[in-house]
Amino acid sequence: MDKIELKNLLFLARLGADEKDYPKIIEKLQNTFQMIDQMNELDLEQFEPLNNPLELTNISREDKDNDRNQKKDFLKNSPKSDEDYFVVPKIIE
Amino acid sequence: MSLKNIREQFRSKEISAEEQVKECFKKINENKDLNIFINEFQEDALKKAQHIDNNFDDFKALPLGGVPIAHKDIFCTEGRVTTCGSKMLEKFVPPYESTVTENCNKAGSIMIGKTNMDEFAMGSSNETSFFGPVVNPWGESLVPGGSSGGSAACVAAGITSISTGTDTGGSIRQPAALCGITGLKPTYGLVSRWGMIAFCSSMDQAGPFARDAFGCATLLDVMASYDMKDSTCAKRKEVSYEKCLEQDFGKLKIGVLKGIENLGISDDVLKAYENSKDMLIELGHSFVELDFSELSSGICSYYVIAPAECSSNLSRFDGVKFGHRAEAENINDLYLKTRSEGFGDEVQKRIMIGAYVLSAGFYDAYYRKAQRVRRMIKSKFDSFFNSVDLVFLPTTLDQAFEMNRESSDPNRMYKEDLLTIPANLAGLPAISFPNGFANELPTGAQFVGNYFSEDLILNLTNKLQEVTDWHKMTP
Repeated sequence: MDKIELKNLLFLARLGADEKDYPKIIEKLQNTFQMIDQMNELDLEQFEPLNNPLELTNISREDKDNDRNQKKDFLKNSPKSDEDYFVVPKIIE
Repeated sequence: MSLKNIREQFRSKEISAEEQVKECFKKINENKDLNIFINEFQEDALKKAQHIDNNFDDFKALPLGGVPIAHKDIFCTEGRVTTCGSKMLEKFVPPYESTVTENCNKAGSIMIGKTNMDEFAMGSSNETSFFGPVVNPWGESLVPGGSSGGSAACVAAGITSISTGTDTGGSIRQPAALCGITGLKPTYGLVSRWGMIAFCSSMDQAGPFARDAFGCATLLDVMASYDMKDSTCAKRKEVSYEKCLEQDFGKLKIGVLKGIENLGISDDVLKAYENSKDMLIELGHSFVELDFSELSSGICSYYVIAPAECSSNLSRFDGVKFGHRAEAENINDLYLKTRSEGFGDEVQKRIMIGAYVLSAGFYDAYYRKAQRVRRMIKSKFDSFFNSVDLVFLPTTLDQAFEMNRESSDPNRMYKEDLLTIPANLAGLPAISFPNGFANELPTGAQFVGNYFSEDLILNLTNKLQEVTDWHKMTP
């Protein structure tokens, strides 16, 4: 992994890092991938990918409304809100 | 004191709920330096205790009537801050209650506080918590294990008789082993994940900590419930785990791994394991050797799948609707700065690994492959359970280790989970219990059972604890 790849990865993960820390981060990631890469030694073709241990199927509930309107409670947790809206910085330049 | 004793004392009016709570807070104050709690609720706990004492007849028959409990700070508690060990959620006040804590409340327990944990449950030593590390009650420089280190230390220090935890790769069993207590990871889907902050949704599972199998059985009876609010919750036959402790399961065939001495397990842990095997033989059970040469590939699979799901789950923390928000001029900077400031190094690392293995071009090479390994591990267990009733192995490679451990192996901490991860990948139940002592520290071993065989592994642990005293040792 080089600095450009890390920069792309950081953006993909929506994380920021100082460029001076890049070598340290790359080293840490590479160490982990070195361990993970041991998977390559295995012959896995006969095994179908497994998503969920119990292979559960989805369930659905009755389409019924409830009287629990928590709009105010949820807005209270917002770092910034105005009336019924979450407020964010400018999106369109 | 064990849950059984506390409950009996409450029911016989020997000790009131209020006295129990006061005793807990006395112990909390004596053990402040262990950093077990992120938040304590002394006033509310005393109020609830007084209410219970005043309405004794309504509470005496409840499974946890009048019993103080501590919850891992991963469970949302309505109106009370829930941090998940992170700066990101330092001030988050959930508008709803998790099913686990709600079940415990209804069963008459008294929540005394929320326990410290590795940030977003990512860690095996409790050192990644934004609120500082938890200290193992057995030694002031030792880690309690992780990620449910606070909950395990709470029971080990004798503050409460029971606590809740979650186990994604060993986060109940490893701290239980390192702190000398009993901890159970149930079958995936047995306990509702509603209101439990998600790390790796296909493996996260909540479970009980207690001094002994009895405490774990009783708390599991309360925690487990079918829940429409969790689409992965399993419908199952109602079982009373507490009653199952008395059942006779007959002579069991127990699977043990061939070549276990080559896995890097310390001599002390192996010695305790061999002693436990002798005891199981004395109880009339027999062993079948199993070939599980694929065991170590579980770590590779886990450290792809868990970060992948974590990168997806933690994408919700963007500084908009809840949690930490950084000052920023535009929306992209808001995301980047909020997440870099709000998450610690380990969480950021796992998000990056997850984003990488899920990205176009690497998906098949990593994520798909890891899922195939997961199938392989599950198939292996399926074949084991054709010939054995359960599998017996140590919980950890070693005993409690020093904080800030230096290691020549950068992946040493991840390898900590070698013996616990397979049960998570396969979704199987597993219980860790104290099985010996060396260097004045506890060792732990675990039974891994077939799906929904919590009754069996709890029963066998109870039978062992009837003839041993390891679970009664206190720091």
